[in-house]
Amino acid sequence: MLAGSGWMEERSMAELVLDSVTKVYNPKSRHPVTAVDRVDMPIGDGEIIGLLGSSGCGKTSTLRMIAGFESVSSGEIRVGERVINNLPPARRNVAMAFEGYALYPPLRIRDNIGFALLRDRHPAAEVARKVDEVTGLLEIGDILDRYPPTISAGQQQRSSLARALIRDADAFLLDEPMSQLEPQLRAILRARIKDWLITRKMTTVFVTHDQTEAIALADRIAVMEGGILQQFATPNDLKERPANLFVASFIGEPPMNIYTASVYRDGDRLGLIAEDQAGNEAFRVALPGEDAAPAPHRQLRDGQRVHLGVRPHRVRLGEGGLLGRVTSHHWLGDQTHIGIELGNALLIAVAHGIFEARAGSDIAIALPATSLHIFDHDSERALFHGMEPAERAA
Amino acid sequence: MGSDSGWKRVLRGVLLTIVALFFLFPIFWVFLMSFQTNETILRIPPSIVFEPTLQNYVALISGKLVSNAGVLEIAFMKNLGNSLILSVVSVALSLLLGVPAAYAFARFKFRLGEDIAFTLLSFRFAPPLLVLLPLALYFQSMGLIDTYFGLIWVYQLITLPLILWIVRGYFEDISEDIEYAYRVDGNSWLRTFLKISVPLARPGIAAAMLLAFIFAWNNFVFALILASADKQPVTVGALAFVTASGIQYGQIAASIVLSVTPTLLLALYAQRYLVEGLSLGAVKG
Amino acid sequence: MSYLELHGVAKRFGKETVLEGLDLAVEQGERLVVFGPSGSGKTVMLRLIAGLNDVDEGTIRIGDREVTFEAPERRGLGMAFQNFALYPHMSAFDNIASPLRARGESMTEIRRRVTEVADLLKIGHVLEHQPKALSNGQKQRTSLARALAPKPPLLLLDDPLRNVDAKLRYEMRLELPRVLRQAAATVLYVTQDYKEAMALGDRVAVLDRHRVSQIDVPDTIYARPATPAIARLFGDPTINILERRLEGGRFDLFGQDLDIPGAGSGERLLGIRPEHIEVSMEPSAGSIPVVLDAVTPLNVRAVLLLKTRDGHELLASCSEEEAARFPRGHKDVHATIDPARIHLFDPGSGRRLDASGQRLDGGAEHG
Repeated sequence: MLAGSGWMEERSMAELVLDSVTKVYNPKSRHPVTAVDRVDMPIGDGEIIGLLGSSGCGKTSTLRMIAGFESVSSGEIRVGERVINNLPPARRNVAMAFEGYALYPPLRIRDNIGFALLRDRHPAAEVARKVDEVTGLLEIGDILDRYPPTISAGQQQRSSLARALIRDADAFLLDEPMSQLEPQLRAILRARIKDWLITRKMTTVFVTHDQTEAIALADRIAVMEGGILQQFATPNDLKERPANLFVASFIGEPPMNIYTASVYRDGDRLGLIAEDQAGNEAFRVALPGEDAAPAPHRQLRDGQRVHLGVRPHRVRLGEGGLLGRVTSHHWLGDQTHIGIELGNALLIAVAHGIFEARAGSDIAIALPATSLHIFDHDSERALFHGMEPAERAA
Repeated sequence: MGSDSGWKRVLRGVLLTIVALFFLFPIFWVFLMSFQTNETILRIPPSIVFEPTLQNYVALISGKLVSNAGVLEIAFMKNLGNSLILSVVSVALSLLLGVPAAYAFARFKFRLGEDIAFTLLSFRFAPPLLVLLPLALYFQSMGLIDTYFGLIWVYQLITLPLILWIVRGYFEDISEDIEYAYRVDGNSWLRTFLKISVPLARPGIAAAMLLAFIFAWNNFVFALILASADKQPVTVGALAFVTASGIQYGQIAASIVLSVTPTLLLALYAQRYLVEGLSLGAVKG
Repeated sequence: MSYLELHGVAKRFGKETVLEGLDLAVEQGERLVVFGPSGSGKTVMLRLIAGLNDVDEGTIRIGDREVTFEAPERRGLGMAFQNFALYPHMSAFDNIASPLRARGESMTEIRRRVTEVADLLKIGHVLEHQPKALSNGQKQRTSLARALAPKPPLLLLDDPLRNVDAKLRYEMRLELPRVLRQAAATVLYVTQDYKEAMALGDRVAVLDRHRVSQIDVPDTIYARPATPAIARLFGDPTINILERRLEGGRFDLFGQDLDIPGAGSGERLLGIRPEHIEVSMEPSAGSIPVVLDAVTPLNVRAVLLLKTRDGHELLASCSEEEAARFPRGHKDVHATIDPARIHLFDPGSGRRLDASGQRLDGGAEHG
């Protein structure tokens, strides 16, 4: 097959669309397993998409269906207007980096990386130049003449990533591409890879279990759990407008502070009573008055049970009407994490740089209404983000 | 998927049936033979329609073989007993020696360790005839010929390497940290071996034990040379059916059925372990 | 005399040297975090202390006893393993009870201790489960409970949070200090996550190149790393290291003339923490024009990949809100570096130089 005769004839026009894609394992057995359940995901040309979730959430099955290693039980995968469900992997013109690296053991790293280009009869000089470029990016220029079994796991992973990134494919599918990266290289390689993908307008879908990695790289993230797409949104929206309690608690480090709470109304005053683990009152937050924020007033009933969430770095420290006790204090170099006891509930707050507070001392804090997330108690779907209704645009 | 799965399934069924027939037919035929007299067996063309008779089994169990040439004494039941004694004691001894040895080979790197392990395995490759003649002479002069003790000793050549190599793979699969954790809890090395390593390798030990038992049971050539009628297992004993007046196919078939039954039952009972043991331990070792 | 002392300890596996001339002293009741990159020998060191491997050279003392060649079961310490190392054929209860049984405790005492430690770690409801029926977090807690159950005076924790997911890891990071305080033991905690080291250690020992290369309170290690290697290990994003020639404290940094008073003359390695590079849209006095190649969010912060005119890469970091100021695709920005916050190292010895003796980072006095 010739290079470039892939499924995206008009590269600039192509959109990769997952339309109600479903994967059922053992459909005829007594216990069919629905690994991926009606996933809709339109992916724009040149977009970087992260598939995020814990193990068994269906993210790898989704990636393998796009690659063609796994058949689609129902639904369509389209490129532009063409359905590619039944194309074999080799005819989809995708580049893939495998979680297990899958380097060819008898070939030197150099030949592993240049393999696809040489196979497609690219001139040797051009291949050598591209290999130099991509290996410089990933800092593996010094191991090009070694063989895969003789290098570390981190180096193998970077080589496998290089082998995918060097190609001229219509889509790049990366399965846990950075799980083994050496911590000291992680930040810079993430940034360089992101720059490389954006500059070259490479449509990319990568799978990861690490929300930090997903947020660092992706334009949009698909959060999956139990085979179901929980939310497909930009990293910022996942943080600021999580669709449900699962997304809210999955995204962010430190994780969002979440409490069971109930609504109280006192005349035109509205507020929430947050509870500790035992169900006793821990603290109260007031919501804006009736004229300032009509939306919550219309929808929240007196005594209604909800979940209250607030992200740690939105907690205002040293001001406000809530009094807590500092229980832990960790300075991590560029940020400080402070554990605060409010009643019997624990609140985590983050300050940039150094924040002085002694464990055991009292501290005043504020939870601004604009940083509160309110979720329905039973359905766990988001009701309000910062006093704006969650259903705004979604 | 969808459209092609139908004929694929049919094809798979047909192929499996052919393979099953190929392997199971002889067993099935032998089973039929054991209920026939020599005359019905030898008629041409053969037929699966016949009048079943238990006379072969009666002859084997009573020890009296009635043939055209008269009544012949056969020691089949005695042979069966010998097989049982030889196999059980050999396997037991091999377990006693082989399991700790397998552990040592799995856990400790010592000088010549790999060489010793390989030498033991190579006993399985060497043709038995190579060692039999000198062995027979030595046994003769040591007075070990035609003794259970001598036979069981020689059987170790069959059973010990098998147990050693399969069980070793299982021990290697146990995380060292689990043993370390038990040591740190305050337990001695020996206790850790008995309470952690052996229980965790139990499927492997069971599989190795079964295989060793089958190999020991099926052995022919060692017992042929080193044992007389008195100590013979069934494999050798079956030779008695080749008499001057002809070959007693019916009795041979019946004796095969009787002597295969114990191993077959054992193997069926522990099939799960057996497959697991072969695929895990053996491949790894 | 310290409670635990390692003296001149060496360990080799074949030709590979793992530890060499290692000295370490841990005070009674202290929580010491042993931090180092993977392959630095942290786990080997714990195994030597536990007696699971023999030392090639040197001595180990616990309390007032020398234990260098004593069997592990006689050292009376507790250990938790990275892969949990639960006994798969025993229930969670029996796993936790194991060290108590080995110590010959009575059944009532065993039941009392197991219940107590299981309540402390919130796994009381899964005690009858087999390990394979436990979630990862419960396995981790069970393995910790087993180590704590006999109240050992010395507790060795080998990267216990490595194999649990990020959220559980964060929760345990908050919970562990309370649990360990209850245990009232001297604790050696191994990790390769510097944040865990900073959050959990009374002191941190950095293991690098076969020995302890720095031991101090966590804040000091971050603020005053002894070598460029330690500076690189301790911090995310990684510190920028540049080589420059100083003339009377003055040097050129991508076209800007900077001055570190009293830093002397000669070749220096400069360490610049990403959070100490200020990036803005507009130029200001002393700023360096750079190209913003990529913005990658990192938890509540964001990492900025900058490229200078001569193609040099710099990592900077700022808060998430500040990063939102840079529109996507915006390239031309300006970086400002405060010379007073630059770490100086001698390129020959690789040791830290404090030219003027001034405090280079306010964080050092924090604790």
